[in-house]
This record gives sequence, C-alpha cells and structure tokens, in this order.
Amino acid sequence: MELANNMEKLFEKLGDLKSFFVYGQKLIPTLQKILDFMQDTVPLLESVNKSIAESTSKIPKASHQLNSVSSATELATTEILDLVDGISNELNSIFSKTNEVKKNLNKQKELTSSLLAKYPDDKEIKDLLSLISDEELKLVDASSNKIQESIMNITIALQVQDITSQQLASVNHLINSIQEKLAGLLLDLNGKEREPDKPENKLDTIAFNENARYVKDNESQKLADSLIAETNGLTSQQEIDKLFSNKNE
Amino acid sequence: MALKFLVVDDSVTMRRIVLNSLKQIGHENFVEASDGRDALNKLNADETINFIITDWNMPDVSGLDLVKSVRANPKTANIPILMVTTRGMKEDIVEALNAKVNNYVVKPFTPQVLREKIEQIVSSVNV
Repeated sequence: MELANNMEKLFEKLGDLKSFFVYGQKLIPTLQKILDFMQDTVPLLESVNKSIAESTSKIPKASHQLNSVSSATELATTEILDLVDGISNELNSIFSKTNEVKKNLNKQKELTSSLLAKYPDDKEIKDLLSLISDEELKLVDASSNKIQESIMNITIALQVQDITSQQLASVNHLINSIQEKLAGLLLDLNGKEREPDKPENKLDTIAFNENARYVKDNESQKLADSLIAETNGLTSQQEIDKLFSNKNE
Repeated sequence: MALKFLVVDDSVTMRRIVLNSLKQIGHENFVEASDGRDALNKLNADETINFIITDWNMPDVSGLDLVKSVRANPKTANIPILMVTTRGMKEDIVEALNAKVNNYVVKPFTPQVLREKIEQIVSSVNV
C-alpha cells in the first residue's frame, strides 16, 4: 500500500516535470527573442550614448550663441539710444532757436505796432504788421513735439532689449539644467568621473526674471499702485504684515 | 534740496533709459551702479546720494538684497528707494514693499510714470 502511494507521488512529480519541460519548450523561443532584442539594443544604446555626448558638447555653444544675441542687441540698442540722444539734442536746439525767433518776432511786432500808432494811415506799416506772424513757428513747434513724443516712444520700446535678455537668460538657465542632467546620464552610462566645469563653460551667470514680459497694458503697474496706496495709510509694520497676510490667503 | 540719484541696473540699456528719462524730467545729478554690491560701494563712497532707483534681478547682490542692506544701515536707512523691475506679480510687489521700498515701477515704463513716482516719494518723505 505504501509502495503504491509512493509510486503515485512519483508519477505526480514526473507529471509536474513533464509540464515544466513542455512550458520550457514554449518559453525558449520567447527567451531567444529577448536575447536577440537585447543584442539589437546594444548598438542602439551606444548610439543614444553617442548622441547624448554630442548634444552635451553642443549645449555650451548654443548657450554662448544666446549670450551673443543678448550682447549684440545690447550694443545695437546703445547705438539706437546714441542716435535718439543726438535727435533729442537737435530738437532741443530747434526749440531754443524757435524761441529766440519768437522773441524777435514779438519785438518786431511791438515796434511795428508802435510805429503804426504813430502813423496810423501808413499802408506799408500796416502791410508789414500783417506779415509778422508766428504761425509757421507754431507748425515747427507742433512737428518738434511730435518728434519728441516719437523719441519717447522709441525709448520705451527699447526696454524690450532688457526684457528679451532676461527671457534668453531664462532659456540659458534651462539649457544649463538639461546639460547637467545629460552630463549625469553620461556619467552613469560610461562610469567616468565628471570633470569640473571650466569657468568659460558656466552658462548662466546673468540674473533674470523668468516671467519677464514686454506688455504695455499697465495691469501690473496698477496692481503695484493699488498695493502701495493700501500700505500708505498704515503706520506700523505689524499693520502692513496683517494686510499682506490677508491678501495672500 | 537737489536730488542725487543712484541708478542701479545690470543692464547698460536700462541704466541709459532711466538716465535719459531722469534728464527728460529735469534731473541731471546721478551716479550709476551695475549691481547691488557696486551700489553699496557707491553709497559708502558718496554720502550726497539721496535717492536710489534700483532694478531687482541682478547678479551677486540683487535689488531686494540691496534694499534690505540699505534699510539695515542707520546711515542709509532713510534714503528713498524706487524699485524699477520686470517683476509684476503680486507676491513680488508685496515682498518689495515688505523690504520697505518707497514705490514700485513695472517695466516697461514711461518717463511720466517715473516722474510721478519720484514726485510721490519726494512729497511723502523728507529727502
């Protein structure tokens, strides 16, 4: 009886073994496929590694190019500001000359008027008086004022240079972060010690506001004005803190 | 009393624009600094400076750090400070006001806005 039980257990185990081999036979092609895939993947990984190394080496160049853009626009803006200053100086001299001419005209008008008072029937004096007019000068003034307004608008528009420089610096900072990540990845893949950054490879040394925007809607200025107005009546820091803590909730 | 401005900005363009705007509104007396540290050195060297116009985002010592340093020094604590910056978020403005700037201008600005803020400061504090 015991022998029969043992034999039964033995057949059960043999059955399990058979199932295992059958399963193994089914599994072998899958394992083979995995091995083939891994063999195919090795060159792919090498290619990824190479391309990461290439990208990492190109990033400083891209970053320097962005910095060059900022420097070039700053230089160009300075040149435009020089020209604007030149035009502004010329305008000021036009203003002062037209003022002199106006004064002279007024003097001429006064003298001619007093002559006319002495000789009221003199037609030539009357004609001369009618010719003395500062209408043309008023037109010159109006044109000069328009030019001055345009100069002011150019100056306002040139602030875009600072704002775009900050945006470029923000992009540079992002590029720098990506370079750091890629360099870390290379280190993991190659197992090499990373060389410390050379000072010339430091990508983002410019301070920036990543939210810098060139918008002329004045909304931010209005917000600042309203916050300042609210703090103006407050006398203690405690009151100001309380106001802002309520506002931040 | 005539105002002597210390104009602090790391951008050459912005310093130039602020100076041009100041000239346009009749102020000719100013000193320039390219960042907060430079500004603190200029303040130490020149006691006649009685008005500061500063940017916020600058390398090394930022505009906000400059404001805090100026306010912490009894010699300079009462100098009026106008912050001129691209930072227009509410939390930025609140942070600047907490650091005790006297007024706040968001870039891009017009000379009129600059004049208005300078006049507001001058009328509210004893320069």
